[in-house]
Amino acid sequence: MSDHAVEHDYHLVNPSPWPFLSGVATLVWGLGMVVFFAGLHPRSTENPNGMMEFLFSRGMDMFGPDKVSNGGWIFIVLGLLMGAAVMTGWWLDMIKEGEEGDHTPVVQIGMRYGMIMFLMQEVMFFVAWFWMFFEFVLFHEDRAGWNTDVLESAATYAQGYGVNAGGHAITTINPWDLPLINTLLLLLSGVTLTWAHHALIENKQKAVYWGLALTIVLGLVFTYVQGVEYVEAYGHRMTETNWLDSNIYGSTFFLATGFHGLHVIIGTIFLFVMWLRAARGNLKSDQHFGFEAAAWYWHFVDVIWLFLFTFVYVVFALN
Amino acid sequence: MATTYASADTDAHDGKPKFWVRWFFSTNHKDIGTLYLILGLIGGLVGGFLSIMMRLELSEPGLQFFGNPHTYNMFITMHGLLMIFFMVMPIIIGGLGNWFVPLMIGAPDMAFPRMNNLSFWLLAVALVCGVISMFLPGGAGGAGFGGSWVMYPPLSTSGHPGPAFDFLIIGILAAGFSSIFGAINFITTIFNMRAPGMTMHKMPLYAWSVLVTSWLLLLSLPVLAAAMIMLFTDRTVGTGFFDPAMGGDPLMFQHLFWFFGHPEVYVMILPAFGIISHVIATFSRKPVFGYLGMAYAMVAIGVVGFVVWAHHMYTVGMDVDVKAYFLAATFVIAVPTGVKVFSWLATMWGGSIRYSIPMQWALATIFLFVIGGVTGVFLASAGLDTAAHDTYFVVAHFHYVLSMGAVFAIFSGFTYWFGKMSGYLYNKWLAGLQFWLFFIGVNLAFMPQHFLGWQGMPRRIPDYFQEYQLLNQISSYGSYMSAIGVIVFIVWVIEAFIVKRKAGDNYWGEGADTLEWTLSSPPPYHQYSKLPQIK
Amino acid sequence: MRISRLAASVGVTFAGLITTGLVTTGLAFASNKNGPTDGDLGFQRSVTPVMDAITSLNNYWLVPIMVAIVVLVTALMVYIMVRFREKANPVPSKTTHHVGLELAWTLIPVVILVILVVPSMKLLYFQDVIPESELVVKVTGDTWNWEYSYPDHEHIDPYVSSIVDIANADKFGLSHAEIIARIDARPAGEPRLDGRPYLLATDAALVVPVDTVVKVLVTANNNMHAFAVPQFGIKIDAMPGRINETWFKVHAGEEGTYYGQCSEICGINHAFMPIEVMVVSKAEFKRWAANGGSFTTQISQNTGSITQAVPVNTVQ
Ligand code: HEA
Ligand code: HEA
Ligand code: CUA
Ligand SMILES: [Cu+2]
Repeated sequence: MSDHAVEHDYHLVNPSPWPFLSGVATLVWGLGMVVFFAGLHPRSTENPNGMMEFLFSRGMDMFGPDKVSNGGWIFIVLGLLMGAAVMTGWWLDMIKEGEEGDHTPVVQIGMRYGMIMFLMQEVMFFVAWFWMFFEFVLFHEDRAGWNTDVLESAATYAQGYGVNAGGHAITTINPWDLPLINTLLLLLSGVTLTWAHHALIENKQKAVYWGLALTIVLGLVFTYVQGVEYVEAYGHRMTETNWLDSNIYGSTFFLATGFHGLHVIIGTIFLFVMWLRAARGNLKSDQHFGFEAAAWYWHFVDVIWLFLFTFVYVVFALN
Repeated sequence: MATTYASADTDAHDGKPKFWVRWFFSTNHKDIGTLYLILGLIGGLVGGFLSIMMRLELSEPGLQFFGNPHTYNMFITMHGLLMIFFMVMPIIIGGLGNWFVPLMIGAPDMAFPRMNNLSFWLLAVALVCGVISMFLPGGAGGAGFGGSWVMYPPLSTSGHPGPAFDFLIIGILAAGFSSIFGAINFITTIFNMRAPGMTMHKMPLYAWSVLVTSWLLLLSLPVLAAAMIMLFTDRTVGTGFFDPAMGGDPLMFQHLFWFFGHPEVYVMILPAFGIISHVIATFSRKPVFGYLGMAYAMVAIGVVGFVVWAHHMYTVGMDVDVKAYFLAATFVIAVPTGVKVFSWLATMWGGSIRYSIPMQWALATIFLFVIGGVTGVFLASAGLDTAAHDTYFVVAHFHYVLSMGAVFAIFSGFTYWFGKMSGYLYNKWLAGLQFWLFFIGVNLAFMPQHFLGWQGMPRRIPDYFQEYQLLNQISSYGSYMSAIGVIVFIVWVIEAFIVKRKAGDNYWGEGADTLEWTLSSPPPYHQYSKLPQIK
Repeated sequence: MRISRLAASVGVTFAGLITTGLVTTGLAFASNKNGPTDGDLGFQRSVTPVMDAITSLNNYWLVPIMVAIVVLVTALMVYIMVRFREKANPVPSKTTHHVGLELAWTLIPVVILVILVVPSMKLLYFQDVIPESELVVKVTGDTWNWEYSYPDHEHIDPYVSSIVDIANADKFGLSHAEIIARIDARPAGEPRLDGRPYLLATDAALVVPVDTVVKVLVTANNNMHAFAVPQFGIKIDAMPGRINETWFKVHAGEEGTYYGQCSEICGINHAFMPIEVMVVSKAEFKRWAANGGSFTTQISQNTGSITQAVPVNTVQ
């Protein structure tokens, strides 16, 4: 750092290329998102089943030769790879700085604040999705009431929310099937993670290693099961007329669970990094904020799932 | 990796790294603040240019400049977005906040210097995306997105098939995350890095204002992000969040948007309040009157600001009882705001007032903000809003609080701290000229808009019924005057850097008693190696 | 430098005075005709009970109280600026607290607001609670015109009302751009288009009887719009998938043509979807409705504009 004696415990970080490169990665990724999505979809009323169509008939073969001409996916992948590289560099720097003793107690308190607030903003993000969901669950009848005698699309519209539309009930996912399994998986992963944490505090490195590994495996299995569920959902679509991609329930369902899934994946990566560090014996029993942050994040993802399971799956299926 | 830069670059020039590393890889709050100010200047110039084009078009009825009315719509949209996200916010939070929050609370830097820079670069990415979007196909055979800064669907979903709006979405998401990270940084810095002895109740009001603002950003922006993503998926992959044919509801977007949008307006005005408090106290040579009341009034404005959002939606057909609630809740905000206004006056009372340039801007801010604030009360009265909603009365209201309240406070703060940041003093005559051009210009521009609104002139129209001409003409002339003011502003900034009149450590004298005045002008690259002790 | 300081305070005072002056004169001289009037500062002339209520809430409650607040703050500020300028008061006091004052400026605004809430709520409920209606009209916003229909008069076919200049371009064999060019080519001083207001005139007005409670159902086909007639005090969003409702009742003796404009941005032609309401006597409305609500339009081929859009039966 600078020449004059520094008499405080704050961490003055050295200049770093990572933020700027993150910006570049974001730009590349954003470009790809627009080119890919805007280029693929004709965005018209002729495509009522757009979302599922996209995910499964277009999306699945987006790497196929006919889509290469679109080019957008190249940028998306490039952006993500750059993002991953930047994150790796950034994290390695942080680990190194931690080892060099830059993370004094006061700096660690700051990190705690930071992580707590990061989770608060994540909560607000999901609040928006739940707001969307509850509004349509609670008030769809109002809307239809306003709607019925006016819009030609009233019939379609009524089918949209399904439940009360002249017996055309939409098929919901059975919550006691895969979703229940997933709930149990996540709950179990919370337990294994807590086990790992206690082990870390007691400095039982082996147990930390296995606890984390188990948690990660459970997370991966969760993601896999969720994938199976999505594919199954798409399968239903082929045989039933009122499946969820033609209405708002499907939209909320896929986006809310989808963003949860994304968080699971991010959380898994976060835990994986901790596992790598644990494998190297890099986690200290008295100072391991990285681990705690990962654990907080994982528990947060867990809680969101419980809300999703209760409302989006169970309560909706009871409806 | 981390240390290589340090050893390679930091030894020269009292610890300052070389150009590329200093400005692109920066982890220094003052440098990042400067970057924000530059970005805000660019945003203000582009946004101001768009507004002058709009006023040129509106100076007489008929379509003069915009052959395609869609282009006009695109101009107002980008004007609103640029001014808010790329002018006021980067300057008043990113720029001045980065510069002065750490200095004022006695911290050597921000809590997360690297993330600080990430915030800046995300905003730069957002600006690039926004500018790109202005040139891509939008809708109606024109370029760019023309659905206004509020982006209501279905106009923003089925109404704009081109990729322009998709870019804008990415841009707004990037700007949003920039602000979220910025907010986390400010809150952590303020909670965790105050100098020994500086309790929350001794903290300067500008730091308080940035603290409250950061909470508003932290809790409201994720909701906007979700709403933007819903627009994106509605547009691209066929979800139906806002599509009635699929059971969705366009109204939901408005709820989500204004849940963010209303706190957002306080995001822009609270730091302005903070700046004004310091300037008034300095030039009255008196401590702030009712300090605690001032701080908690801001907290109150922030809290109540979260539960009034639907006052932007009085005409959407809400239940009357819901409207009644939002009416009452919105009225409440006038009370803490009044506390602030009267406390400023009381700060001046008994003082020994010097009318320096920052003080002129500050006094004008109070005067103009009160006008803008009371017109807000008209709008808050739901029944009355039926007549005023989506007319120029609203435009007049929010320019009085924004283009005068927030912008005048920006200039107040900028002139107040210019010497501290640059080390040079500005030419008082030029800076005074800018003040008067602006003061008269914006009043001419926006005062007549109240009456246009009462006369029923709708917002967002490039062409109007001829009977609206006189007031529109006055308004346009006023806007040209403020544009000249912007030019004079740039002239005096350049002049100050050319002439290099050296500024002392505390060039305002004894009234200026916050910590930044104990440092040199400009402050050392890393200040407070030994933390200051507050009694 | 002293001069500029003095100028500062004088300027601020003047701005305050001008504001007050403008507001009060504007309210005093509201014009008698329909539609906006150049240079007028207040609301357009009210012709319905709701707009009466809005106007009086505005003119008798909010404007006086709010102007008083602005004047009070300005006057205080100017007084302080003069009384406590550096020269007049070289030694600043150090007072930073005064509980009484702080309470006063918290509580007095509370009282003012409570006083204001009462008439505000009254207006709100008066406006929003729809009385027993005698006629229902349904308004559907489309890009970029309005469709009117009369659900309780089945023989009146729904009809579309478009701006005279733009939407009829094809009727005259002109392109959109050519129409705009024509509008632009008109002499600058010319306020009206063949006697009809430019940008406000339509080819088929909404026809309603005078002195009748009319309930308006509003919805939209694609984009959002808003149905607004300033002189009636109504403005309500037209939103796809929803029906909103509002009401008006034009005072007896106020037959005439009233204008409004779409008040929610709806795309390229947002500025070009006016609302024209023709208020006729009850008898005339009956005849018009009995006749199936047809229109006669006199299209002047030379000028390419519609000179009048009137209900058949009202042409004497
Ligand atoms: C800096 C930004 C800012 C600020 C501070 C405010 C402050 C306020 N705003 Fe404003 N507003 C906007 C920016 C802002 N607004 C914008 C951008 C829009 C339009 C968005 C769009 O549609 O594009 C808008 C629109 C808007 C609307 C919707 C209008 C419509 O679309 O129909 C309403 C309605 O209630 C409203 C109300 C208020 C109120 C009550 C306040 C209050 O906070 C004001 C409080 C202040 C005072 C009252 C003055 C000082 C107080 C005293 C001197 C005490 C004594 C006073 C009394 C007793 C009354 N605003
Ligand atoms: C902070 C916000 C802000 C600011 C400053 C302004 C400034 C101005 N605005 Fe506006 N405006 C909006 C926010 C703002 N505006 C919004 C949100 C809308 C609604 C958009 C919509 O409907 O979607 C709007 C809409 C709007 C309209 C209505 C358009 C319509 O509905 O058809 C008009 C018309 O006259 C207008 C005009 C102007 C003018 C003449 C200025 C002039 O005051 C401009 C003069 C220039 C400046 C004040 C900038 C100066 C600052 C700098 C150059 C930076 C300085 C740098 C440092 C200190 C480092 N604006
Ligand atoms: Cu229709 Cu604006
Ligand atoms: Cu608001």
